[in-house]
Amino acid sequence: MVKEFLISLLHYFVDITTAVLIAAAIYLTISDRQPNSTLLWEILLSGFITALPSAVLLCFDQKSVKKSVLLWGIHFILIYFITLMLIKMFGWCRITPMSVFLTFVAVVFIYFFTCLVHYLVDRKHTALMNQQLKKRYVESEKKE
Amino acid sequence: MRIIIETPQPNDEDVVIVRCASPDQRLISMLLSFQTAQTELTGYLDDKIVRLNYQDVYYFEANENRVFAYYHSDVYEVKYKLYELEELFTPLDFVRCSKSLIVNMEKIEFLSPLFSGKLEAHLKNGEKVVISRQYVHNLKAKLGIQEVN
Repeated sequence: MVKEFLISLLHYFVDITTAVLIAAAIYLTISDRQPNSTLLWEILLSGFITALPSAVLLCFDQKSVKKSVLLWGIHFILIYFITLMLIKMFGWCRITPMSVFLTFVAVVFIYFFTCLVHYLVDRKHTALMNQQLKKRYVESEKKE
Repeated sequence: MRIIIETPQPNDEDVVIVRCASPDQRLISMLLSFQTAQTELTGYLDDKIVRLNYQDVYYFEANENRVFAYYHSDVYEVKYKLYELEELFTPLDFVRCSKSLIVNMEKIEFLSPLFSGKLEAHLKNGEKVVISRQYVHNLKAKLGIQEVN
């Protein structure tokens, strides 16, 4: 179970960090600012800090759809507030209604990016698994 | 390979001893299947008590401290804990796919991904069951897919 958690944490970390990098690249291009090396470490740290609650919360096995949606909602709000806290801590920009709104947009983007990456990877895996399932059925039909 | 069948002493139980240089996985699975086939699985449905054939079970599900065996359309309660069923049936074609579910792989039609990061197994009776992310590796191992992490 620990191994699965660590693998899940690593996957979230890689996906979130990639999405944060894309969001940062867009923001820096628009604002015409020059990044320094500290920013890269801050992005890596923020990727890890947001991946941690993702790996913990999303590993809960919810049977009902209602509870699942609730958990995803809690997760989204938590990630949103962590991101706002990180922005303030690292001094990426001033906390204004506009920056709060843009952070919301960025978190939504990162959220969908991560889900989409997971979905595409899973689609590849399920195709392989379906292939193996089919092979099993063909083999058992031959035996019969 | 030689097969020797001996008659035990009157009060001794039957024992199967495999003497080999390295254990053959197929042979072990076969013996475990034989042992499981001896396990009596009784299903309860209202006033009916039915002897269940595990090969016809689509999946076992735990719900509020009770465990149910799902057939094509009927649902029977079984007096086993889910972990006991897991121990009994995972050497066969059953696989744990969530905290509360063990599915018969023979009854899976195909798999599809969900946007939530879980997988969905479409069963031959038209039902769908969700496979949690942390149990996907069990299914992959059963299908002989090596994971590269």
